[in-house]
Amino acid sequence: MTDLKYVGHPAQRVDALDKVMGKTKYVGDMSLPGMLYARTLRSEIPHARIVKLDVSPAMKVPGVVAVVTSDDFVNHGNFGFPISDMYMLAYEKVRHVGEGIASVAAETPEAALEGVKAILCELEALPGVFDMERALDPDAPQIGPDRTDGKHPNYIGHYPVYKGNPKKKFQECDVVIEQKYETVMQEHAYLETEGGLAIPTPEGGVVVYLSCQSPFIPRNDLCKVLGLPADRVRVIVPPVGGSFGGKDDLNYQTAGQVAALALKAKRPVRMTFSREESIIAGYKRGSMRMNIKLGADQDGTLRACEFKSLYDSGAYSSQSPFTSWRASIHAMGAYRYEDCTVDIDTVYTNTGYAGAYRGFGNTEVCSGIEQAIDEMADALKMDPMDFRLKNCLKVGDITPHGQLLSESVGLTDCILKVREMSDWDRKRKEFANQSSSSEKRRGIGVAALFHGTSLGAEGQDEATATIEIHADNQVTLTSGLTDYGTGARTVFTLIAAEILGIQPERIRVHNPDTNTAKDSGPTVASRTTILAGNSVRVAAQNLIQNLDWAAADLLNCDVYQVHRVGEDYIGPSEEPVSWDIVVKHAREMGLVLSAFGRWTAPEIHWDEEKGTGIPYFAYHFGAQVAEVEVDLKTGHTDVVNIWAVHDIGKVIFPQGAYGQLYGGISHGLGYGLYEDLDYQNGYAQAINFDTYLIPTSMDMPEIQGGFVEAAFSAGPFGAKNIAEPAMVPTAPAILNAIANATGRRIRKLPANLERVMLGKELTKKGSPFSCKVALKIT
Amino acid sequence: MLINFTLNHKPVSVDAPADITLLTLLRDHFKLTGTKEACEVGECGACAVLLDEELVNSCLVAAPSVMGREVITIEGIHDEDGNPNDLQRNFIDKGAVQCGFCTPGMVIAGEALLATKAEPSRLEIREALAGNLCRCTGYMQIVDAIETTAKGRAEKRNQEKRER
Repeated sequence: MTDLKYVGHPAQRVDALDKVMGKTKYVGDMSLPGMLYARTLRSEIPHARIVKLDVSPAMKVPGVVAVVTSDDFVNHGNFGFPISDMYMLAYEKVRHVGEGIASVAAETPEAALEGVKAILCELEALPGVFDMERALDPDAPQIGPDRTDGKHPNYIGHYPVYKGNPKKKFQECDVVIEQKYETVMQEHAYLETEGGLAIPTPEGGVVVYLSCQSPFIPRNDLCKVLGLPADRVRVIVPPVGGSFGGKDDLNYQTAGQVAALALKAKRPVRMTFSREESIIAGYKRGSMRMNIKLGADQDGTLRACEFKSLYDSGAYSSQSPFTSWRASIHAMGAYRYEDCTVDIDTVYTNTGYAGAYRGFGNTEVCSGIEQAIDEMADALKMDPMDFRLKNCLKVGDITPHGQLLSESVGLTDCILKVREMSDWDRKRKEFANQSSSSEKRRGIGVAALFHGTSLGAEGQDEATATIEIHADNQVTLTSGLTDYGTGARTVFTLIAAEILGIQPERIRVHNPDTNTAKDSGPTVASRTTILAGNSVRVAAQNLIQNLDWAAADLLNCDVYQVHRVGEDYIGPSEEPVSWDIVVKHAREMGLVLSAFGRWTAPEIHWDEEKGTGIPYFAYHFGAQVAEVEVDLKTGHTDVVNIWAVHDIGKVIFPQGAYGQLYGGISHGLGYGLYEDLDYQNGYAQAINFDTYLIPTSMDMPEIQGGFVEAAFSAGPFGAKNIAEPAMVPTAPAILNAIANATGRRIRKLPANLERVMLGKELTKKGSPFSCKVALKIT
Repeated sequence: MLINFTLNHKPVSVDAPADITLLTLLRDHFKLTGTKEACEVGECGACAVLLDEELVNSCLVAAPSVMGREVITIEGIHDEDGNPNDLQRNFIDKGAVQCGFCTPGMVIAGEALLATKAEPSRLEIREALAGNLCRCTGYMQIVDAIETTAKGRAEKRNQEKRER
């Protein structure tokens, strides 16, 4: 594949022009004649019974046109996958602050808010669970749904990996270390808040423009809760202003709310969240408490790992069963072990609620295991790079899950390359000789990762695409997977252009639309390039076959004699004919100029009881190095440099791949240093960007990135993935650098000023008041 | 109340409530939706516009205060023929755009910087963007785009000097 023309070459993002001109229409930019504005009454109490809910006073507010509650949905609007524990609007109980109770549509946003305030809603406060360690106490208040298997209703699940018996193996190891690590909740902080626009259709159905990741999920949810057949519900994903896992759950409730209001009012209804509403009502990355025990021999051989963890899903299970499963698979890091066990338990509390966020469990466990690996290297007096190189996964290894890695394992190359780029060996020595009296100290740290590609054993894994040449010879592509800023549309375009041999400018990718695209599963798990990319490849190959027939017919030769140079077809006569003429001839021959492509991922399996199997069909690998300067007087950590080398398989869209890498690192830097969506007794302590700080251009260092292209044979052109894993090792690399600089380890994220300087936390300040007020302002 | 001002190089007059922000005035009364609403507390810069050539967060500006002044939004940034200008072109070429929601504010902040500083260093560019949050890019390619534009404009100015 040396003669690729578009794949892997410089290209521009296909949707960038409208974006730089300010012309892109996000949901909040759309309006229709007669459109109503919606607002939702949200719970101000973390756990309560709904004693009374009378919406009739809201209907008397001037301008209010419709109000909906759980009564307006089939089966009270119950939905959720894999556990159906949620409602489109609260039914009987609320379980977290910000949970929607009733939605109002009105002529103006102000009237909608007046309507919300007029609703008579009486909540009887119930005791809550605010500490995950107490969730399974026999007398803990019930948060989760009733269950019949005798288990605690606040118990979501247990996620194990089992290989051998580490307890026994530790007795044989020269060195054993054991530590606790902890992560806190993280807010996605996409710049565009949640929102949706519903339009009733003449046939009694509804069209919803929804800022979301996976349009078929809300389409199916809406059919269920509105009692409509699939052909009456259409979900379209307009341009999305960032998501990072965060628009794959809560906004499906928004879809239900605006759809029910639009059907009731018989008018278009749009809802857009304020930032405060987005943070208070929205789900987060869940918090995790880990206990990690490692055993190794004095020669640096890592032998055993025992990982135990508790994961807090908050008020609803959302994606947490999948997040926890992914966490369990990655908990031991990208290393070989003779014996390894992982046990993760996931529980309900009334601390907001947790769902998907970039890295999806791996970000959490990597921050623990990669610190533990460093601590073991310290205990063995080994260089952390040498220790990782000695034990990291290579082709031919069998993972602790029991999977043979037969190809595409570029981790050793990633570590070697990032070691060289960062000038690791020189800096490590230099920083070891810093004066102990200096107030500003430098440090350098590394973290490595592996990250399973796509859904893994979470579910069936396939995607479809369609491609069509239109009368004006423009080519259109449809995919059921979305581009919420990732660059996926450009990736699809480049793959199709490569196979069809035409300029990318000829190709247009439709917005995902449940009426025109086929269900390709959710746009999650960094699966889009490999799954949708492969389906586009297959569709384009199916299409070009017809053009090859037409070209051979035109050139009076056999198909195998035709070859392409640029957009021209050439046969034995050496006289080129253009792509446009070939397309015209194909039409005249009656050949169809559209095609369908389906790609099904290689088969995998996981035994949930035994904790073994083949969890993913391929893995991304990577290593990052952070260099920090820590001010011992203030506790301030300045990340001076980051080097990142990732094995993403073949790079298809370089500009986009680097963009994902840099952006992912910014999420990881925030996670490592200051992002902490702290809750006190169920109330979020930060509700906007003035208190929830995300990295600015001044906080981000210049990043030097690089890719190792250990091609995956089943990937499109050998590609794997990048989006999620880009952020996974950043926080532990920074934490390891801080430990290198200060000699002190911070085992609870984030490494904020007080933890770095004092080694402990300061008393938090916030009050429930700000959350309550924020839910009722214009 | 009647508010008269210059919007994207054209005089305009609008009857709007006195208690709204410039952001609401632009989005709801002029349908200029390129200016984004993302925090409404002046922290994110998605609503940035130029007010008398100064970078401001339009969510913090009272609409009546623009009376008699000049406002430029993202819709007013382009070449004379309506095509993207060099800065916008470089945002595309350098990969400075991902989800695009912060992009209008970033372009405006870039123009505000380049109007006052011909050849800013990368650190100065970072300082100038510190009021504009981006969650997608890690800022690298945005800095690249502004740096490249500054160099291009300097080169153009030098060439014009030489030609004179």
